[in-house]
Amino acid sequence: MATVTEKTRAEQTHPDVRSHGEVNADIMRMLSPPGTWWWVLFGLSIAGIGLLAFSWGNQLVRGIGLSGLNTPVGWGAYITTFVFWVGIAHSGTLISAILFLFRARWRQSIYRAAEAMTVFAVMTAGLFPLIHLGRAWHAYWLFPYPNERMLWPNFRSPLVWDVFAVTTYFTVSSLFFLMGLIPDIAAARDSAEKGTLRQKFYSLASVGWRGTDRQWHHFGKAYLYMAALATPLVLSVHSVVSWDFAMGIVPGWHATIFAPYFVAGAIFSGVAMVITILVPIRKVFGLQKYLTTRHFDAMAKLCLVTGIIVFYAYLNEFFMAWYSGEDPERRVFWNRLWGHYWWATWIMLICNGLIPVLLWFKRVRHSIAALFTISIFINIGMWFERFVIIVTSLSHEFMPFAWGVYRPTITEMGIVIGTFGWFFFWLLLFIRLLPPVAISELKEVLPPPMRPKQKTEASR
Amino acid sequence: MKKPWYIAMVAALAALGSLAFLQGQTVDEDVDTSDAAQVNIGPEGQPIAFPHNRHAGDLQLDCQFCHFSAERSSSAGIPPVATCMGCHTFVAGTERQEEVAKLRGFWERGEAIPWNRIYKVSDHVSFPHMRHVSAGLECQECHGPVEEIGVIQEVQQPLTMGWCLNCHIEQGATRDCTACHY
Amino acid sequence: MSEGIKRRDFLKVLGVSGAGAGLVGCSTDQVEKLIPYVTPPEEITPGVATWYSTVCGECPAACGVWVRTREGRAVKVEGNPHHPVSGGALCARGHASLQGLYNPDRLEGPVRRGEDGEFQPIAWDEAEALLSQHVQDAGSDFVFVTRKEGPALAGLIESVVESVGGSRVEYEALSEAPLREATRMAFGQDAVPTFRFEEADLIFSFGADFLETWLSPVEHARGFARSTGIDEAHEKARFVFLSPRLSLTGQNADEWVPLTAGSEGVVALAIAHALVQRGADGGPYSDLIEAYDAQAAANEAGIPAETIEELADAFQAASAPLAVGPGVAGQGANATATNLAVLILNAVAGSVGSTLHVTRSDLAAPATPYRELADVISRMAEGQVPAMVLHNVNPAYSLPPESGFRQALGQVGFSVAITPHLDETAALCDLVLPDAHTLESWGDSNPRPELWALRQPVMQPVPHFDSRSAGDVLVRLAGRLGEDLGAETFHDYLRNRWSDLHAELGSPGGSFDAFWREALRVGVVEVDAAPAQATAMQTPDRALTFDAPELEGDGMALVVYPSSRFGDGRGANKPWLQELPDPVTKLAWHSWVEIHPETAEELGVRRGDMVRVASPHGELEVPVYTYPGIRADTVAIAMGEGHENYGRYANGNGVNPMVLLPATVEEPSGTLAHLSVRVNLEPTGRRYSMASIEGSDQQYDRPIAPAVQLEELREGNIEEAGGYPTRQELQAIGGFVPITTEAEPQDFPLEGARYGDYEDSGSTPRWAMAIDLDKCTGCSACVTACQSENNVAFVGKDQLAMGRALQWIRLERYYEQIDSSQPGPVDIRFLPMLCQHCGNAPCEPVCPVYAAYHTPDGLNAQVYNRCVGTRYCANNCPYKVRVFNWYRFSEVPEPLNWQYNPDVTVRTEGIMEKCSFCVQRIRKSENQATLEGRTIGSNEVVPACQQSCPAEAIVFGNIRDPESRVYQVSNNDRTYRVLDVLINTQPAINYLRKVTFHPVESIHV
Repeated sequence: MATVTEKTRAEQTHPDVRSHGEVNADIMRMLSPPGTWWWVLFGLSIAGIGLLAFSWGNQLVRGIGLSGLNTPVGWGAYITTFVFWVGIAHSGTLISAILFLFRARWRQSIYRAAEAMTVFAVMTAGLFPLIHLGRAWHAYWLFPYPNERMLWPNFRSPLVWDVFAVTTYFTVSSLFFLMGLIPDIAAARDSAEKGTLRQKFYSLASVGWRGTDRQWHHFGKAYLYMAALATPLVLSVHSVVSWDFAMGIVPGWHATIFAPYFVAGAIFSGVAMVITILVPIRKVFGLQKYLTTRHFDAMAKLCLVTGIIVFYAYLNEFFMAWYSGEDPERRVFWNRLWGHYWWATWIMLICNGLIPVLLWFKRVRHSIAALFTISIFINIGMWFERFVIIVTSLSHEFMPFAWGVYRPTITEMGIVIGTFGWFFFWLLLFIRLLPPVAISELKEVLPPPMRPKQKTEASR
Repeated sequence: MKKPWYIAMVAALAALGSLAFLQGQTVDEDVDTSDAAQVNIGPEGQPIAFPHNRHAGDLQLDCQFCHFSAERSSSAGIPPVATCMGCHTFVAGTERQEEVAKLRGFWERGEAIPWNRIYKVSDHVSFPHMRHVSAGLECQECHGPVEEIGVIQEVQQPLTMGWCLNCHIEQGATRDCTACHY
Repeated sequence: MSEGIKRRDFLKVLGVSGAGAGLVGCSTDQVEKLIPYVTPPEEITPGVATWYSTVCGECPAACGVWVRTREGRAVKVEGNPHHPVSGGALCARGHASLQGLYNPDRLEGPVRRGEDGEFQPIAWDEAEALLSQHVQDAGSDFVFVTRKEGPALAGLIESVVESVGGSRVEYEALSEAPLREATRMAFGQDAVPTFRFEEADLIFSFGADFLETWLSPVEHARGFARSTGIDEAHEKARFVFLSPRLSLTGQNADEWVPLTAGSEGVVALAIAHALVQRGADGGPYSDLIEAYDAQAAANEAGIPAETIEELADAFQAASAPLAVGPGVAGQGANATATNLAVLILNAVAGSVGSTLHVTRSDLAAPATPYRELADVISRMAEGQVPAMVLHNVNPAYSLPPESGFRQALGQVGFSVAITPHLDETAALCDLVLPDAHTLESWGDSNPRPELWALRQPVMQPVPHFDSRSAGDVLVRLAGRLGEDLGAETFHDYLRNRWSDLHAELGSPGGSFDAFWREALRVGVVEVDAAPAQATAMQTPDRALTFDAPELEGDGMALVVYPSSRFGDGRGANKPWLQELPDPVTKLAWHSWVEIHPETAEELGVRRGDMVRVASPHGELEVPVYTYPGIRADTVAIAMGEGHENYGRYANGNGVNPMVLLPATVEEPSGTLAHLSVRVNLEPTGRRYSMASIEGSDQQYDRPIAPAVQLEELREGNIEEAGGYPTRQELQAIGGFVPITTEAEPQDFPLEGARYGDYEDSGSTPRWAMAIDLDKCTGCSACVTACQSENNVAFVGKDQLAMGRALQWIRLERYYEQIDSSQPGPVDIRFLPMLCQHCGNAPCEPVCPVYAAYHTPDGLNAQVYNRCVGTRYCANNCPYKVRVFNWYRFSEVPEPLNWQYNPDVTVRTEGIMEKCSFCVQRIRKSENQATLEGRTIGSNEVVPACQQSCPAEAIVFGNIRDPESRVYQVSNNDRTYRVLDVLINTQPAINYLRKVTFHPVESIHV
């Protein structure tokens, strides 16, 4: 056995995984009763949800005025965080669908977590359009539904496109996620002891999966189709989100580059978030042999590519502003660099433009600690990117006399932080209840198990 | 064999869906127009049991004989006590004379009659009576068969936007929002 | 006025009903009551507004106004077009009088100070008995202090005071005594002259803020705009402002001569001197004039001597020059002399009789100068005043503490205040009688000999407050004192006086009843002007020093100027006025000290830093406003703020600059000298969050508020609209241009526009507006008028500081040229910015629920009840005219909500709102037109801003009709549309460029 593995070690994605049985055992171990650290984190995220509920409830009762928004800055931390979470939501589908179609084998052991992250991120992002409304209780007016007043939403408004884009994305990505889970849940079902609530839950969720050839056959096809269906969404959703801005005439928003710029940024931030989440999981659950430096190396490269695109977009924006010759356009970008919000802009430029340069170095890409740090910087940088685009543009528009300054308030901060609690609440539940690493697909990329007898024949 | 309860699930989903659709169909959920519904009358009913059927029905009085400003103002006008006394100084009423007595009481005390309001559109709706009267609309089309009702105690029509709009479309009247909302 | 009495009867009933109907726009759960009238008033139809003409009581100018009432509640004040003073226009303070009427801080009944020093409620009869008894006992020591009142009330007070042999003092914090005294000396007449700005072609103002508070602002603004606004013949009067600080009036000047504080007089004389040298006749003042040559004056004023020569040349060349000044802010120890100097200048230039008429008669109500009050104060302090009545005056606030009024008032045996609401003075009195508001009471006014007007109650007294009009109280007091006035009520007394007047006038209009009814209906009685009085100069009867006075202390000269919003401070408890950004500094709800940016740099302070301002007489802390329009050696603070006991909206806002001043009496006029100290500023190191609506005061060469030089205009060198290079370039290289930019407002809907219901467009009107920036004086009356008409809520200091002002009109002010270091042209551009009702509106396509859409008649509509509050429309509005209801700002304390206009939805929280072009007025006119079986007229609809504009700068109408005024006004070389060439919004508002005398950089529009 040793000899075989020595030879092929280089090509193998998971050289240290010895047998299929070992995979089951390791992954199932993750579903065993949680330790204290999990409860601590879970408690924290519950607290976060409490903060969210309180801040939002307070805002609903007393009015949106509790935010720091004003004229001219009508959008601020809420929309910023909305775009941030939608962006996070991107890598999941990218990794699971697109990389699946491209047969990138290294995706197998990370895509499950990425997909879960996607679903939860969309769930989080979906809150903000409600939170930022002046009259949230009328939000349903944005949906087209037959009503006696014969009133319909304005299909020319990018906000309505948003409603459709985000809901579609949520539907498809969650279906894709749940479907991919079926075989593994079945495995979990079989390993769970009979009669427990857990076992009932698994048997329900595994919708009678028995692993017959026929089922595998159908599963494979369906999965392929779902992947094909999900792929265009990766591009569409964030393009639509970017059009919320690009369709406006606000200097600093009204640019044709926005769609690709936002999509790249979304993948950039998404992959960074995957790294941020996987590193601790890997450590805690001792998944070193499933999540090898090879995986992180690949993700780091993805980061590097998208990061370069994003930084190009930054430069391009500044150039176009200058090239336009329009004072309003030019002054907005000048103001970004040197104006009231200079600090936000420089955080963005440093975190998204400068720091990722380190990823050129293999040593950095292979150092988990370094990657983790960098990924966190990227997350911060990407939040500020959206803040800069939204706030600095609005605060310095066409009428100089109406220029204004926006300062986020406690309530806004509470809600923004609270939504992190909401996100991690679901994520923590996920890694406890569902196999966070795709067992069956992992097996596909492992060397087939061989009996010693065959080995001797081979040596002859 | 788990088939049956799959079917059950699908059925349930379908049911929910159609329910949602019907919900959409029903008179809208908009809180703003629900004032009409809120306008109930107090436990005490009207201060005077004024029989519209007697005046508008039996006696064939024209609505605008009392609601004097309907044709020239956005508000139809509530008849001043003096208008009532125009007749009731002499007419003591056939049955229920105690009600007429109440009326005279108000007149002698120089008090206004605190009628309970029945018909009210939301505050963000402006309804110009004169436009509708001059367009030849019958009062009954909005206020119901007043000449048959005794003491008016509940709204005869939904007074919702859809209800207004239907008529406006049938009559080819404007559908511009700022015709009513400003 | 028999029906008048009847009206008040039924209004009594209505007053009660109002309480139910009071909460306009707030749906209530409990049963709503319908309260009909007992007896129908003939002039009232429910749902239809009734108008009453009366006289505004907010300042002594006494504009004639119309008050719109709905179901017996006053909801809007507008200028009375028949009245020569208001001419149909009104200032912000006039509009805000409604918030005096419905002010929640009004007294709910008479109160008396009990043993514990606290006020106790007391019955009216008891209170009046007390009053009469004390007045009786006081006898000849009785003192009655009042402000300048109409003839009838003044006469009544006079007779009451006489009946006990007491004395009457009239006190106005903003006193024109020096002007009056100077006029007496110069022309031998006890009068305040009338200034005809309309007829002038060159105006010198030596600091007089005649567009803000001086004498008769609305009337002056109209005349000023008519003369300085460019006309068809391309003629335009020139305006030079000579003062250490640019007031709003000064900001409208074409040239600014920043002379040292107090040197106005010598400069005026020097100009006169130069005129005499050029052959003018100095009259009896020739010798005096001789003494002041240009060089000496220039040295004293800190300006080059050439300037004085140039000014003299201009003044001589002008056919109808006019010099005015110095106004209250410039009243130093030489106030009378300065006024006299300006009158001499006018006389030498021959303006007297043409642009200046010595006819204004205030004899009916002489505003006695401060000196007399000062005497009273000293008598009070010595305890020689057993009883005194203070009627609608607030010396405890508006006098410098050094006058000792507060302490002296404590020595008065029995002090009575007759005032609608508690103020600093009333709070110190023993008995306070709630006066009826001017809109609730009878009265009259006689601003000029040929002009009489009646004040009538426009509604039953607001039921929340048990008030009685001072007139009625005094009539009864006179009765108790045994004085027979032959009248039971003040109404009767007034009628008696007017029947005498009627007789004097030779019974115009037949019977007195007819005359009276007509006077009430029209609101003004014009009689033959008094025979022209001699206006020959007389030799001065006493020597005066014209030189700039020595200012006490060291440091920078302190200018204490009257606020254009609060006057002497009496308007401070009206939220509309507090919320109205000051026209000069654009700050609201607090005070500031204006210092020149260079001075600020020397002091090491920035805008918004707290500084301690110390004079020899007192000190205060106030934030800095760096203002390029003030001399570097001068600082200025506005009067009116800093109340301690004037109501919830006034208390604690800002500072009262009077604490810095000594109680110096200027001789000979006897007024209080405002310009008398120097102050030192020292930084406190603390910051203050200023409530400002100002982002930047620069245009950055954007097509916002361009101007054109007069010569260029005459030669027709004014670049065509749409000549914006970038766009042309775009088109040239086949770039994407959405919709043709050559369209005019009347081309509507634009092809490709998809919003609104346009089946029959073409037949529908296109509502549009034209604003002449050469006329606009930036007075901001339109802002408050709009607020009053459209139920626009006020938000308060903190919200405003956050940038959440709700006003639908933002009066933008851009500095083009302003230099306080030497005389020269000043160019400040005002731009009333309201919803442009774009034909290609960026706000419409982005609204997800069609709350913002276009109506068939070209309005950019906002459907409040459909709005969900995404604020996308506001983000996408390039003009930033959309404002958002962040909280339930519309919930105001009773009975302020009584003012709400029943024709307009009251907005709740979470809703976007903006200028609607007064759509409610359009719909009302349409309804009326339909009833009368006609189509709506092109000039029929007058929005609140146009109605109120004293400068007549705004015109509204159907621009599709070539006959309409808006079309004709827009058909002008100066017409342009803000930002249109940049973003192709196709606004419905045409602006007409300002016209300057100096060359201007051309901005492509």
